[in-house]
Amino acid sequence: MSTAPRLSTPVLRSLRIFSRRAVYWGQRSCYHSYEHPQPPPFPPAESAILSAALSHVPNHGFTSTALKLGAQDAGYLDVSTNLLPRGVFDLVNYHLVTQRLALRHAVQFPAEGQPGRPGVGAKVRALTLARLRANGPILHRWQEALAIMAQPSYVPASLAELARLADEIWFLAGDTTVDFNWYTKRASLSAIYSASEVYMTQDTSANYVETEQFLDTRLADVMRMGSMLSGVGQWVDYTGHSAVNVLRSKGVRI
Amino acid sequence: MPPRLLRVCNGAHRALTPPSAVRAAVTLPRRFASRSAATPDIYDVVCVGGGPAGLSLLTGLRASPLTRNLRVALVESQDLEKSKLSSDASPDSFSNRCSSLTPASVRNLQEIGAWNHVNLSRVQPYQEMQVWDGVSDARISFDWDSARPLLSPRKPTQPTTIAYMIENVNTTTALLSRLLELGHVDMYTATKVESIELGTDTEALDMGSWPIVTLSNGKSLAARLLVGADGANSPVRTFAGIASRGFDYGRHGVVASLKLEGPGWGGPDHKIAYQRFLPSGPIAMLPLPGNMATLVWSTTPERAALLKTLSSTDFIAMVNAGFRLSPTDLEYLHSISLGQSEEVDWRLEHTSVDERSLPMKLADVQPGTVASFPLRMRHADTYTGERVALVGDAAHTIHPLAGQGLNQGQGDAAALVSTICEAVRTGQDIGSTLALESYNSARYAENNAMLGVCDKLHRLYGTDSTPIVALRTLGIRAVDAMGPVKAFLMGKAAGSV
Repeated sequence: MSTAPRLSTPVLRSLRIFSRRAVYWGQRSCYHSYEHPQPPPFPPAESAILSAALSHVPNHGFTSTALKLGAQDAGYLDVSTNLLPRGVFDLVNYHLVTQRLALRHAVQFPAEGQPGRPGVGAKVRALTLARLRANGPILHRWQEALAIMAQPSYVPASLAELARLADEIWFLAGDTTVDFNWYTKRASLSAIYSASEVYMTQDTSANYVETEQFLDTRLADVMRMGSMLSGVGQWVDYTGHSAVNVLRSKGVRI
Repeated sequence: MPPRLLRVCNGAHRALTPPSAVRAAVTLPRRFASRSAATPDIYDVVCVGGGPAGLSLLTGLRASPLTRNLRVALVESQDLEKSKLSSDASPDSFSNRCSSLTPASVRNLQEIGAWNHVNLSRVQPYQEMQVWDGVSDARISFDWDSARPLLSPRKPTQPTTIAYMIENVNTTTALLSRLLELGHVDMYTATKVESIELGTDTEALDMGSWPIVTLSNGKSLAARLLVGADGANSPVRTFAGIASRGFDYGRHGVVASLKLEGPGWGGPDHKIAYQRFLPSGPIAMLPLPGNMATLVWSTTPERAALLKTLSSTDFIAMVNAGFRLSPTDLEYLHSISLGQSEEVDWRLEHTSVDERSLPMKLADVQPGTVASFPLRMRHADTYTGERVALVGDAAHTIHPLAGQGLNQGQGDAAALVSTICEAVRTGQDIGSTLALESYNSARYAENNAMLGVCDKLHRLYGTDSTPIVALRTLGIRAVDAMGPVKAFLMGKAAGSV
């Protein structure tokens, strides 16, 4: 008799995770507002299980074992991890999302108008580096996470999260331009970030100095590429106009 | 029925505002007091800018029997009399602003009668051109003898001159003398253009489409055709609302008048022009009479600034090095602020060069002639507008590596003269866009091609990337071996079609 309530509580709570999840997704706003605080990305129960599971990752890796231990730590049944529809990928995703959201608090820049305020390029570099360093504690397990993210059914979600990270970095760096470069900037940063992340898993240098150098080289490449592309753009623009002008000079009505 | 409605509206509009000539006939007494500005002086052609292109245009108009009765005016901000070449100028002192006139330009100057006024002792024809790659040393030589078709002997009538080196001041002085000889040109020299505006539609005259040029001396000139020969920042082009596109090369051209150790390897009768393409830009030495030569060195703004601060000994050493040492050596020499002379001497001892294939070493640089100017490329969208035509630098600015800038201006002037002649012959209004159309169609594509070729050459040689150097080396050797191809290129550069 006495065991019944003890058993029923975790089961009910586990069921509630699922129901809260539905409510939570219904509430989520599909726009960003500075006035309203963003709702937490995960329901409380899911968050409790996953954060507890993450602390077991250094020992057990991104595995169902870590998830089960996490559920036990949070006071849930082992079986409740089955309510996470994507299993270990949810654990990886939790790490990605929380680290992305932590970025705004992790890196602080001097306010507008103060001396020593870095430019957008320097801010992007600092933010990217901070995000890479956040992988530090679980770095020896990160290749497992990369393998999970590379599974075909999770690739779209992983790429979406990567895009959100690139967007977050540009946003935090104070880049508000909305020209065509909006796409190229995010695409190039995503490429640089993922390359640096893979490089970092092999980095044995102290304080990841080599990763830092790797990142700087990639960023310099993009700068060079950018100036080259703008030169090409200028040239194409000139050539296009001159072709039209030559035709006009010959009496073609364009 | 919309079309008919439109026509009715049009008719009504026209009826409401009859042509001013009709109105003038109806309202008889003209009230002069009511006119605010002074009556503009009415000209057929007003040319703003008295450079080689503008002067050539006016001389051409005055020299042609068809157009000699047009009323023409010249507006120039500088005092042309003061900047004339004095007839007793020393043969050891040359202006640093020299140009190479192609045979086509010379022929044009002869036709308008200006070539007789040129001080020929200060003109140097050259018969050969040596061009080589500063990275790979691949060389191409241009002379009419090696450019003849395969197995056919040289024709005695074939010209031997590639082009004529002449100081710009010599060209303008000759044109000005010829223009004064022809007379009947109203010269407004040392006078600036204050503003250019469209005229007003008064009862007497409809000047609505006529540009009125207000001068700094208070006069205002109404132009049936306003010609902009007023340089790269042309106010006339701005007035006409014609956009000018292109890019800055981020390079400066360093010019100087030099004295060489001798008259050149071919002697005084076979002068050679040299050009070496360095990754920072081409360096060219062009012959002048006697032992003199002129330098055009396109390089980065920082290097140009350094070259201008060097002592004459170091400058001489740097120019000698520019034709002889490797780009790596040159890079180092530009990184030290003084003492280039010893460095170059030491390096030349350890560099094997064939002196006979290079310009003679410098003996001296004429003091005060080292100067620089930024290199850019610009091309106006069109050369003509309603009562407006652009010639010379106002229409296009080119990289100086082929020495074509002044020749393009001369070509423009000649083409515009023939367009105006045709308009006068057929009784058209010389300022109408219809009459001017043939000028734009004659010159635009040709100038555009020349601008494009110089731009591509600049880009092709502006790199030291290995595959590109290999390709351009192959290309230059192939062209060097093919006489007819070379003849074609030389013909194009000489301005013959």
